[in-house]
Amino acid sequence: MAESKLTEEQIIADIVDRYESDEGMLIPMMQDLQADCGYLPVDQLRRLAGRLDVPLSRLYAVATFYSSFRLAPKGLHEVTLCVGTVCYLKGAGQIAERISKEFQVEAGGTTPDGLFTFQPVNCVGACALAPVMIVDGKYHDGVSPDSAMEILRGLPAEDEAAETEAEA
Amino acid sequence: MTVVESKRLCSPSDLANRREGLLKSSSRSARSVRVCIGTGCAAKGSRRVYDLFTQAARETDARVLAVKCVGCHGFCQRGPIVVIQPGDPSTALGAGVFYQQVEEPDVAEIFRETVLGGRVVERLLYEDPATGERARTADGIPFYKAQQRIVLAGNGVIDPTSIDDYIGADGYSALAKALTTMTPEQVLQEVERSGLRGRGGGGFPTGRKWRSCRNAPGMPKYVICNGDEGDPGAFMDRSIMEGNPHLVLEGMILGAYAIGSSQGYIYVRNEYPLAVEHLRQAIGQAREWGLLGEEILGTEFSFDIRINRGGGAFVCGESTALMASLEGRPGEPRAKYVHTVEHGLHDKPTNLNNVETWANVPAIINRGGEWFASIGTGKSTGTKVFSLVGDVVNTGLVEVPMGITLRRIIEEIGGGVQGGKAFKAVQTGGPSGGCIPAQHLDAEVDFDQLTKLGSMMGSGGMIVMDEDTCMVNIARYFLNFLRDESCGKCTPCREGLAQMVAILDRITHGEGEAGDVERLQAMAVLLEGTALCALGKTAANPALSTIRYFRDEYDAHILEKRCPAKECRGLFRYAIDAEACKACGLCKKHCPVDAISGEKKVLHVIDQEKCTLCGTCFEKCPFDAVLKV
Amino acid sequence: MPTVTIDGVKVEVETGATILDAARKAGLWIPTLCYHPAVSPPATCRVCMVELDRGDWKQLVTACNYPVRRDITVSVSSERAVRARAGVMQLLLARAPENEDLKAMARRMGVEGTPYPTVTVSQRDCILCGLCTAVCDEVLGCAAIGFSGRGQDRAVSPPFRQPSEDCIACGACAAVCPVGTIQIRIHEEEGEIEISPFKARVKLLTCEACGERVVSLPVSEEALKRAKIDWEEFRRLARLCPKCRRRGAAARLAKSSSAT
Repeated sequence: MAESKLTEEQIIADIVDRYESDEGMLIPMMQDLQADCGYLPVDQLRRLAGRLDVPLSRLYAVATFYSSFRLAPKGLHEVTLCVGTVCYLKGAGQIAERISKEFQVEAGGTTPDGLFTFQPVNCVGACALAPVMIVDGKYHDGVSPDSAMEILRGLPAEDEAAETEAEA
Repeated sequence: MTVVESKRLCSPSDLANRREGLLKSSSRSARSVRVCIGTGCAAKGSRRVYDLFTQAARETDARVLAVKCVGCHGFCQRGPIVVIQPGDPSTALGAGVFYQQVEEPDVAEIFRETVLGGRVVERLLYEDPATGERARTADGIPFYKAQQRIVLAGNGVIDPTSIDDYIGADGYSALAKALTTMTPEQVLQEVERSGLRGRGGGGFPTGRKWRSCRNAPGMPKYVICNGDEGDPGAFMDRSIMEGNPHLVLEGMILGAYAIGSSQGYIYVRNEYPLAVEHLRQAIGQAREWGLLGEEILGTEFSFDIRINRGGGAFVCGESTALMASLEGRPGEPRAKYVHTVEHGLHDKPTNLNNVETWANVPAIINRGGEWFASIGTGKSTGTKVFSLVGDVVNTGLVEVPMGITLRRIIEEIGGGVQGGKAFKAVQTGGPSGGCIPAQHLDAEVDFDQLTKLGSMMGSGGMIVMDEDTCMVNIARYFLNFLRDESCGKCTPCREGLAQMVAILDRITHGEGEAGDVERLQAMAVLLEGTALCALGKTAANPALSTIRYFRDEYDAHILEKRCPAKECRGLFRYAIDAEACKACGLCKKHCPVDAISGEKKVLHVIDQEKCTLCGTCFEKCPFDAVLKV
Repeated sequence: MPTVTIDGVKVEVETGATILDAARKAGLWIPTLCYHPAVSPPATCRVCMVELDRGDWKQLVTACNYPVRRDITVSVSSERAVRARAGVMQLLLARAPENEDLKAMARRMGVEGTPYPTVTVSQRDCILCGLCTAVCDEVLGCAAIGFSGRGQDRAVSPPFRQPSEDCIACGACAAVCPVGTIQIRIHEEEGEIEISPFKARVKLLTCEACGERVVSLPVSEEALKRAKIDWEEFRRLARLCPKCRRRGAAARLAKSSSAT
């Protein structure tokens, strides 16, 4: 049975209802929206601003102030590298440099081929496992520049993922 | 087995009866397996271990065994941690067999030997690296021995997803006591008597804050739990929120009762998804049981809590920025000339406290403010949870009475510096704090002592640094961090931090100029006086404290273009160790400027004139024969 | 009514008035950049720092938004306060070294140049004071522009850096900008107002009363010059063409003269 996809308006309506139109919950609302689309599309933000009767400039301010928000589509995979003090002491700086260099991606950006979005963060609270890299929600502890490269090189690209699905 | 119609507890005696029932019930088994699923252990695969134990238990007599997941024990480095309890499940962590670094293949053996057979699997016990002794229980592990776990008492013992477990462990008894035998004023006085000071970094007397909020005109009043633990290296609050969420709720309900609030918020960092999940579950359970919401435990007191998540901004740990975020705006701090206890969230009287502060309240109500004040020092009472991390042998969360020395924490509990290297400094208080050198290791840890030494307690982060750490680079790291996290609203923080980072960048790249140290110090004074919030005001501390204790390193960088710790690229040389060199030719092959001479079997030598200090030979040498000099 | 002793001069002020109010009453000059009577003080520039006597210690506070609730003693000319203000101005000069308004204020403060190199780059000397965004939001109720980004990336812009649909081209932002960053250019032929540096072009307003295409810029300039601003009036007039404004004024005058 075919699933009916929610229209964009419905997605916004749902989110606003979920938080009872409380504009104090704007950040959780935008997080839910981003969880849905992978990023924050301009049109959706416009709709949200309209529904809440909040100026669009405020949504833009919030979207650009907090590090977790993205205004552009993210890559196929999400790579988070902790650059908190302990991870930094254990070499996270070198790992970040290596990732940027090899995959041609800036902090907060996406690789040119759209394989992954690279987001350094300031401490994920797993300091005993430093350095920590989180790929698609999975934690990798004690990574080195070499082991990080291995993990990232092994990330499946879209075609491969679709092929394996078809085979299954 | 009778089916209970509604879980709702309509009176304190209901609660007491429920507790008794839980302790007696037949689901209390002979043996229990406690698998830690905190973020640290989960990252190493503990959930899979939990699943395997659950599976094994299913194939056995359920009356004999219970498998449950527990929260962070604090010794994440040794995870996954599994504790096998012999019998009475309400016993503290100390009585069970403590297994560490448990992997999937180990589950079968543990199940067969320990759970069913009552025998110990030696190789999975903790082994003291210094003595080689194995410890059977947590009590026997030096990391835990010197600790006094009050706030963390439930961590590792109760299942954070089960309100039953919390109630069975005396949970919500403080709330019942307060609602039936104490007035709000009496609850407030108990907290005042305890001398509890804010555990988030400010160290402000909690009782005094509560009283100011209680006295402030205006309704409604709000209570907020600051779960935006942003100091890198600190994960105490994560562990408490994940491992014992009901403890935080109980503390907040007690506070709301004392202050006269009916609405609370918990603001959790976006980077702590498990904490959000466990808190959300706990709130749902508490509401179901009548411990949150209307007419709590059948009394006239009503209070509810909402969870809000951060969006990824360190500055939101600052109370006015947090409140702005709770109002759906960017997390920009505002002036505190009018205190938030008078005009806070939505301009109403608001009491904000840190997670650990709230977590201390139930024990204070149950055992009395005087009991709490008997622990610690005169002006810093109670215990504090520290996150001991970095170049230390035993990494993890440590709860100790205030007044214990740095040395005891780092050497006795922490096991000293990793790799037998020399201790250089311990950084405390996060980016607003400072570095404390070896000569002050016997300092007593409390709010005032650490401040006197040029640092601060902060939220409890303690990062140990060894002799190979460049202290100038540490200052650069923290200032860079703050510059990235600055909200950018006020001139001194936004422009001043950029200036300081520019100076430190120069210094660590060999372009330091005479007068740079004085420039940094002058900027520190300007920031402290003119910045709008505490982030800006204290931002220069990492630079100031390293200048105070490691001035020689700054001078070496600036005047000699040399990094004594051999960390800053380009500020130290490489040389080949004649004894270790095997003349394999690898370094020579990779040298981009042909600065290495030597043939196969002939000692290789680096021509210092040609060398560009790129470090490639150092990375490539398979025999560690290239040394930093 | 509390008394403020400011540099030795005693003045009485209403409870809740600011130290800046007290200073003006006392005839003392304190430099300000982000302060404007039309909006709630952003308190972002930090150039108005003064020293507040707290008995056993002295606290540096911003004069523009420190509320007076009891008798206090303040020093504007203490060495520490002067140095603090000078330091802030030097940081601003480093950010925008060619800006004439800043240089003029610096001269008045006795600040000679800046020892700091330029390490942050701004759009057209913007000092991020927030007056433009505040007036657009609080006074006009449009919120057509706002802040974006954080820290060094903080900037004033319309949402998504696209011309804002909420802009009514009243020019209030240009009128309050303390350093002349915002410039208005009227393009008669295209019927547009260009507000830079927002790279936005806004169609000229249509007069609410007669439908004529109108420029509301002169309205705001006039209104903001007045000492006491009637904000209701301002909002209403911003949407009328000059003819209709005059007609309205004439009608009001006729009404009041017939009443006598």
